[in-house]
Amino acid sequence: MRTGEMTPPVDLIPAQRQRLWGWPAVANFTLGGIGAGLYGTAVLTAGFERAPAVTLCSWLAPLFVLAGFAAVAAEAGRPLRGPRVLLKVRTSWMSRELWIGGAFVLLAFADILYPHRMLRAPALVAAVLLALAQGFILSRSRGVAAWDVPTMPWLFLLSAAVSGSGAYMLLEVLSGRAVSPAVLLASIGLLILGFWAGRAYVATPAGHAFREATASLRDGSAGRVAAGLGGALPLAALALALASPGLAAPAAALAGLCMLAGQIHVKGELVVRAGFLRPITVTGLKMSRRLP
Amino acid sequence: MSRWGMIIDTRRCVGCQTCTIACKQEHGLPAGTAWRFVADCEVGEYPDVRRVFLPMQCMHCAEPPCVPVCPTGASRRREDGIVWVEYNACVGCGYCAMACPYHARHLVHEATGYFDAPTQSEAADARPERHGVMTKCTFCKERVDAGLAQGLTPGVDPVATPACSVACIANAIVFGDLDDSGSAVSKQLSEGEAQPLMPECGTQPNVFYVVD
Repeated sequence: MRTGEMTPPVDLIPAQRQRLWGWPAVANFTLGGIGAGLYGTAVLTAGFERAPAVTLCSWLAPLFVLAGFAAVAAEAGRPLRGPRVLLKVRTSWMSRELWIGGAFVLLAFADILYPHRMLRAPALVAAVLLALAQGFILSRSRGVAAWDVPTMPWLFLLSAAVSGSGAYMLLEVLSGRAVSPAVLLASIGLLILGFWAGRAYVATPAGHAFREATASLRDGSAGRVAAGLGGALPLAALALALASPGLAAPAAALAGLCMLAGQIHVKGELVVRAGFLRPITVTGLKMSRRLP
Repeated sequence: MSRWGMIIDTRRCVGCQTCTIACKQEHGLPAGTAWRFVADCEVGEYPDVRRVFLPMQCMHCAEPPCVPVCPTGASRRREDGIVWVEYNACVGCGYCAMACPYHARHLVHEATGYFDAPTQSEAADARPERHGVMTKCTFCKERVDAGLAQGLTPGVDPVATPACSVACIANAIVFGDLDDSGSAVSKQLSEGEAQPLMPECGTQPNVFYVVD
């Protein structure tokens, strides 16, 4: 750029790391996703029938969601005003998240007290909507380039499904039950879909601010950990579980653990490390001295 | 109905931060919080370099992304275009700060002073209702409203004009009614030199910049 030339859009104020949402927010997004995915996996695997896994997940999944809400409430400046968050359901995805999460918790607990498949279907819908709502919260954050992408809600839904199926397999093994081949195969499909969606996300053509914010997930160590720990390792373990029935239980547990860890890692990276406020950009600057 | 707006002429700005201090003084802002500041920016590569002073604040957007995301309704936009926060309704979740593309929102976690104990003036300016909630530039709406009530014209009469504009030593900050074709901001805007910052964000800011 030489004197007299007009600059292209230039970052006058560089991107700055957002510091308001930290690990409590990650806990909310992670626990909400695990809870929603866990419940969905259990209910779908049981065909909406009452099964021991469904009962266990009807306890655990809402507790995960509530723990996430509690974590994020602790991050708020005035947590005692929390009920006010319910007010703007028409416009704010944060309000919607609380309503949907509350509905999910009530439906799942009601299913424990009054078991009925008519409660499981709307609870499953609420679980799906909860995962989507958490993604919408990020995608409406226009100030953060890495989050302001339209695919974010679907990424969160997929992440919930991956982490939920991982948690489900882990619980089944810990409960002494065999993980069905259908669940193992579905988990393989979800992992492949998740890997593809992750690569598509980091390749989103959303400008240089997005590219720089997501560099670690695309080309750096964060991306390698996500692909290895959250992708390749559980895929190998699931393949082993399918091929060697004798090793199915430990392999499924390992796969579940890795799927959980991988999704926690990805959400942590996304919220904390890729969470940069946009650079302030100006166009039309001339590289010239102002004459008197 | 008026539509308040501002034009900031970066060609005139000398980076003195008088507007920053005037704002802090006017609103009694605690240490570490500045609703507006002047960024000292360097552009280009040696030997073709340039220094630019960029005053930053809330853009009081016509389509403010911070307002619809607010889960409590604390973030609001008045009919005259001023975007503000109702402190008593804010939960301090920080969502609006994530939605703002202009780094314009500031969460005041707790009262902080410049010394170990609050000074006399810091104690006098303490605003406990602002702790734990989101704060931002208000276009000095109290001055504007009080001025209008007295029959004064914001942008013309200093007591009815935002403190930053009044304090600016270079007359780089012009405030006024964008719907009044006779106002200084409207006249300057009609000359076509002033542009909003990052229009690609689609927020339709009511603060415009003249850059050269």
